[in-house]
Amino acid sequence: MKKGKHTLTIALALLLCLVPAMLFAGGSSEATAAADDGKINLTVLNYRDTSATNSANEDEVVWDYFLEQNPDISLTIENIFGEPFLAKTEAYLASGNLPDVIYMWSGGKSASVHQNHAVKDLMPFLEKDGLVDDYNPAALVPQYGGYLAELPEGITASHMIFVNKTVLEDCGLEIPETLDDLLAMVPVLKEKGYGVFAMDNMTTWVMQSTLVSTIVGRLGGADWYDRLVAGEIDFTDDWFVDSLELVELLYDEGVINRNSLQSTYGTSRGPFALNQYAFLVDGDWACSSLMMDNTTGQALLSRERQENDIELIVFPEIPGEVVHDTTSGTIGTGYAISADIEEGSAKEEAAWRLVKYLQGEHVQEYRLVTGQAFPTNLNVDVDKVIEENNLEPLVSKRAEFYNTYSYTPVIDDVLSSEVANVIDIGLQELGLGSKTPVEVAQDVQDTWEKWLDKQ
Amino acid sequence: MANIQSHSPAAKVGKVITYSVLLVFSCFAVVPLLWLFMNSFKTTQEFMIDKLSLPGQTEGYSATLVNYIDAWTRGKFPTLIMNSVIYTAGTVIMVEVLAIMAGFGFAKLRCKATKVLHGSFVIGILLTIQCIMVPLFLLVNAIGLYNSRLGVLIPYIGISLPMAVYLATEYIKSIPDALVESARIDGASYFGILARIIAPMAKPVAVTVAILTVSSIWNEFMLINILTSDDALKSLPVGINQFAGALTTDYGKQFASLVIGLIPMLAFYLVFRKEITKGVAAGAVKG
Amino acid sequence: MKGGVTKRREHYVTYWVLVLPAFLIYILVMAFPTIYSVVLSLSDYRGGNLFTSDINFVGFDSYKEVIDDQYFYVALKNNLLLVFISVFGQIPLGFIFAYLLSRDMVKHKDFFQTMIYLPSVISTVVIGLLWKSFFSPNGAFVQLIRVFNPSYEAALSSYPFGQVLFVTLWMYVGNYLIIFMANLQKIDSSIIEAAKIDGASEMQVLWHIILPALSGVIVTASILAISGSLKAFDLIYVMTGGGPANRTTVLSIFMYDKAFKGAPNYPVANAISTIMVVISFTLIGITKFIESRVGGRE
Repeated sequence: MKKGKHTLTIALALLLCLVPAMLFAGGSSEATAAADDGKINLTVLNYRDTSATNSANEDEVVWDYFLEQNPDISLTIENIFGEPFLAKTEAYLASGNLPDVIYMWSGGKSASVHQNHAVKDLMPFLEKDGLVDDYNPAALVPQYGGYLAELPEGITASHMIFVNKTVLEDCGLEIPETLDDLLAMVPVLKEKGYGVFAMDNMTTWVMQSTLVSTIVGRLGGADWYDRLVAGEIDFTDDWFVDSLELVELLYDEGVINRNSLQSTYGTSRGPFALNQYAFLVDGDWACSSLMMDNTTGQALLSRERQENDIELIVFPEIPGEVVHDTTSGTIGTGYAISADIEEGSAKEEAAWRLVKYLQGEHVQEYRLVTGQAFPTNLNVDVDKVIEENNLEPLVSKRAEFYNTYSYTPVIDDVLSSEVANVIDIGLQELGLGSKTPVEVAQDVQDTWEKWLDKQ
Repeated sequence: MANIQSHSPAAKVGKVITYSVLLVFSCFAVVPLLWLFMNSFKTTQEFMIDKLSLPGQTEGYSATLVNYIDAWTRGKFPTLIMNSVIYTAGTVIMVEVLAIMAGFGFAKLRCKATKVLHGSFVIGILLTIQCIMVPLFLLVNAIGLYNSRLGVLIPYIGISLPMAVYLATEYIKSIPDALVESARIDGASYFGILARIIAPMAKPVAVTVAILTVSSIWNEFMLINILTSDDALKSLPVGINQFAGALTTDYGKQFASLVIGLIPMLAFYLVFRKEITKGVAAGAVKG
Repeated sequence: MKGGVTKRREHYVTYWVLVLPAFLIYILVMAFPTIYSVVLSLSDYRGGNLFTSDINFVGFDSYKEVIDDQYFYVALKNNLLLVFISVFGQIPLGFIFAYLLSRDMVKHKDFFQTMIYLPSVISTVVIGLLWKSFFSPNGAFVQLIRVFNPSYEAALSSYPFGQVLFVTLWMYVGNYLIIFMANLQKIDSSIIEAAKIDGASEMQVLWHIILPALSGVIVTASILAISGSLKAFDLIYVMTGGGPANRTTVLSIFMYDKAFKGAPNYPVANAISTIMVVISFTLIGITKFIESRVGGRE
């Protein structure tokens, strides 16, 4: 009986200690936020992807440097990443309290920011400062909401085929020029025990983003999306159905192994580096995970192998394609200014200074050196930076890739996620052999029409 | 006690099967830990090439501590661990006290309101975090607790309560009414009964609630990001998950962080294992 | 008489003092979000400022969208399989283990109890990652088979959800183990001893004394299993992400894919969540009904 009393006393005592402790903890954090010494304070919602290769010193190189250069500004930075980043953005939007400067995507991922015009159009700012010509024109095109919401840090090619020349040479094969070349290679590679395309198709967006967007672009033309919106073409037309049939053919012929449908994204980069596959189908961002990781001093592909064994190409020529030598591309992420900031205020000027700086030469050079993004700012002399920093061969091969190929849209960048999801899943159904291209095309068309009705 | 004493072949077979099943389950429990521990000494590059061999077995690679060093220096783990302990301990203590009080009320004090109130807790067990995230953010903002420890603790307590209240009520219900009634006849107040009879007898369910709450709060990742913005207020899962990006995952560092996050939990669990078992057993002691 | 009135008053005052703190916190945290969630499921809110943007009431459109989706039924079926495997797999196993351990039928009781509960202590991420790489086309599972059949090539599994069921079964047994352990201790051991002295066999003790005494706990465990299985997300999300082609999806992942991937669609998300609550309630109702029919009263 005594023991029971004891327990309760302890519990109550703990409770009593805890409440003030909690209140104190609550109070102290508010105190720090209120600190103000005449500086303009900007709140920043930053995406910090620590998994990005070589991002370790971002704080010093990017943010601290800005504060040094701009002593009249102080920053309150909220670092967040992954799925919670998107959830947090939505929460801020719902409450109507967006931070002053936010990181965002140019497309569907940040759709609600775009559609609600929650951030300012940056074009007038660029024009006022005469900076328009400093940027790659492809980077300044209107985004999901019809205007320049964020100033992009790069242009991303979502389709890039890494060729393993060691494997090809072992089989006496050349880099394929046409689809028929590619198909003819399959039995030779299989004979020697090599896989053809290394892909990880269990993750839904992979097939669509890293391969089908390019195929659709080839068969539908660079303007397929505009013509789709204008009602000139449908998903049930040849351009799209043929694209799906090509995917089916790639599975049937063994170019893509069906068991890739049970492999999650990123898994096959290792086996590719081990010469188990002839090609790696991925996005340009895969470069950095094949290159040197400064924290470990190791690379999946050494400098010599990058130089001699690896070639970056796009999908070979497809019979009936209307554009040639294309990949699929999207405008990268960047920073935007909240629409709540008063026009012409000192705060607006400070926010613009920050956004401008984040896509200026200093930061873009840093991102190029670390392999995170390829510059949109034309003042960055890519060749010079590569040479000065003795960057790995894959960086210059990547630069060459961008100069060689032109872009068509990435499906999930231009289409709403409701429609893109149906395409993603439909492509997996093709792989499983449980739906035909015509059926998938019909599903997509139905969803597209339903989505159009809702707008 | 009731050991399987007979030596009939059937009993022997039964014993073999019992032990084999228990051993298989034990192996399944240990293998993930060993696998994690082993891979935390590989660089991401080595892990991508071979996920099953021992560290350093792959040609050109050797076992390394670099993941731990790097994860620790970049991860701000001391602050995060301290916050996790505060959030977890605070939530568990409050949930235990509140749930046993409410459970006693629901189970032993008759009132018409019980049906509605208790029913509403059952609904709470079924709700998913994703759907209450945004409204919770608005709410915590509105009452001025955004970005504070209290603003994290209150929601954590709130989401843990339904399950705890439900378990406590069911458990206390099964304590014979006669115990309460005879104490009443002896002139004891309800609070006295709660303190002297119910609380000690509810120890097993308290341990169950504690275990379930600790493992859910310790691993909570979504709400903490929604309810705070300062790095200084975040908790361990934030540090652990930061190495898993959408396009690339830094496996080596992620595994090292996972080990860092697991050690306090495992230590707690293994050190208090006896107490936990005893706590569960204490309810059986008559007195 | 006077004593009766004060006693009654004490009864009510005590009741509210005991119940209100928990209830108020719970209501504060959950009630507003829940009402918000249900209201939004009937609207056309598309993100943006909740207080100033134009939100219309559109009735059950979102529910219709969910019900019209072919993959809703795949998810539902998988969830029901999870419920099945929890109620008829995890609970019996948890009970058997708890019974064997608490009746001292095996040695090293502490060790086994620790081991069986261990998976619940390890984070889901680790378990998901491990099993994922185990079953992947380049993983250990294939390597193991190749030991016996070197020419084996990983074919596409015809039933990927089987892996998820297997891991789920194993992972959560520990939760039920501790719940049953806690309640088994409550049974007065003198009754069991008396029955044994009267010549009852172990099976008879189990059947006539222990199971009836635990019927309420079995219902509690079933309710937890049902709600847990319907909410299942983390493990499956890490292991398969619902793929390939939604074959391993469950309602919570279906909701996530449909409503939170890309631009959020709150009406649909909340509609799915409401549907999940309704399904849980139905299943729990059925459980309670079965209990009232066949369950023993303590």
